[in-house]
Amino acid sequence: MSDAYVIETSDLRKTYDGPSVAGGIDALRGLSLQVPRGSIFGFLGKNGAGKTTTIKVLLGMAHATGGEARVFGLPVRERDSSVAIRRRTGFVSEDKDLYDLMTVEQIIRFTASFYSSWRNDLEYRYLRSFELPPDRKVKDLSRGMRTKLALLLALSRGAELLILDEPTSGLDPAMTEEVLQTLVTHVASQEMTVFLSSHHLTHVEQIADRVAIIDRGHIAVSGALEDLRETYRRLQLVFDGDAPEPAFRTAGALRVERRGRVITVLCNRGVDQISAEARALGAASIEVMPVSLKEIFLETVNGEN
Amino acid sequence: MLWYKSWLDTRWRFLIPLAVLVINIWGLLIEYPHIANLLRTVHIQPDALSESGVLGRQILESVAAERTYSGYIWYQWFRQNLSQLGTLCAVLLGSGSLLAGSSGAGTMFTLSLPASRNQWLIARAAVGLAQSLALVAVPSLEISLLSPKIGQHYAVSDALVHSMCLFIVAAMFFSLAFLLSTELNDIWRPLLIAGGAAVVLSIIESRYELNGIFRVMSGSTYFFAGSIPWIGLLISAVLSLAMLYGACVNVARKDF
Repeated sequence: MSDAYVIETSDLRKTYDGPSVAGGIDALRGLSLQVPRGSIFGFLGKNGAGKTTTIKVLLGMAHATGGEARVFGLPVRERDSSVAIRRRTGFVSEDKDLYDLMTVEQIIRFTASFYSSWRNDLEYRYLRSFELPPDRKVKDLSRGMRTKLALLLALSRGAELLILDEPTSGLDPAMTEEVLQTLVTHVASQEMTVFLSSHHLTHVEQIADRVAIIDRGHIAVSGALEDLRETYRRLQLVFDGDAPEPAFRTAGALRVERRGRVITVLCNRGVDQISAEARALGAASIEVMPVSLKEIFLETVNGEN
Repeated sequence: MLWYKSWLDTRWRFLIPLAVLVINIWGLLIEYPHIANLLRTVHIQPDALSESGVLGRQILESVAAERTYSGYIWYQWFRQNLSQLGTLCAVLLGSGSLLAGSSGAGTMFTLSLPASRNQWLIARAAVGLAQSLALVAVPSLEISLLSPKIGQHYAVSDALVHSMCLFIVAAMFFSLAFLLSTELNDIWRPLLIAGGAAVVLSIIESRYELNGIFRVMSGSTYFFAGSIPWIGLLISAVLSLAMLYGACVNVARKDF
């Protein structure tokens, strides 16, 4: 495993035992992932794809049933390593699960006590900019305020890695924008890696430089966002009469659909070769179109299904 | 700060019973002169009572013991009130693990902090046991402190020995509730199961007049013969430690 990657998993597997499920539920099925140091890594997947399970395994909240996972080069399986990983990692859970009985001030002081690298300057800055009331109990905070508090607690740790599990879930568009902007500004000023799990593609597209799409427990697509945008293309082939049965020999044609006079091909390489094959089939026109992250995502997860 | 979180989680389960027990002592001491006068007028025929079975023998023991101030304190406080309330409080304090997944418990947040599960559990158990100790020791020492107010004396050493017996056996029920709480996510099932186990044991012990844990808890051998029930206390302590160890093992293997 390499220093260039903050998170590395290899053939990671996790099966949850369930009393009503014979053989258990396979949440992760050979997940192999590499998150480069300094990247903002979007971890995309449908609900139940295995995103949260992956995060739980990385943070030592759940035990993998197979494969290997390392964070900062440390094995997540070992207890001492797991504590060391968490000392260098900020985390915001999907539920923004905090201590309801504490006040904002109490939970900040409580969390700060665990980190020698705690950044008082960031704490004061975010306390002010988020307008968090120090004396208010956590249970009395709105969802947006709770998200901001969770973010403050994660960002002020002086962490090298920030793991965010659906950080904008349940927030209105204005609050979502504020949270994303805070993240971008923070990451720009600190040397850190962000692992952002989400099914909100537009949010990921807005801030991530690399993405991986997880589907049913394994990585279906992974790479730099720009590379994905460059390599993925949709070809629309229009025929004069009914389109022929498509049979592309070129590797890279991921999905082919035929509807009347039109054949649509989603490909991630070999555009020229596929176009040549289409001409040979008698296509009257060939249009090559860029593909959005949303389309890549939908094609990937629907194709996988 | 691990201690602080455990304290915040359990403080009302500790402070309210402590207040109840402290007030209970006042009532007990205020009542003593009336009880003493009443007992002077009571004449018991030992043969008749001992022939009337378990209940008769218990009444006989109670009246015999309560003819002295130290006997009154032992029977009313250490054998009755504190044995029952102390067990209940210990079970209450042991229930509802720090890492249970109830709403607002912040389990994911807890587990994201750089402390091992064992550290959390040990802190939680230590705080709970310290609270259990305070719950039995503070009111008991209050007896020694307030007895001169009613013209009586109760030795601090007696209060401490009885408190120790009570604490060590109550710790066993605390540990049982603690162990159950690592498997059951709510506070109520561990409370009911551990509390129910204590009640059943108490009934069996009383019905069959066994030399069981509640006799160890009340320190009856110390009261009657001045000997501390070391073997019973040792067995209770070992069982407690085994259950606390079991709780750590159980939490270490769990997925959250």
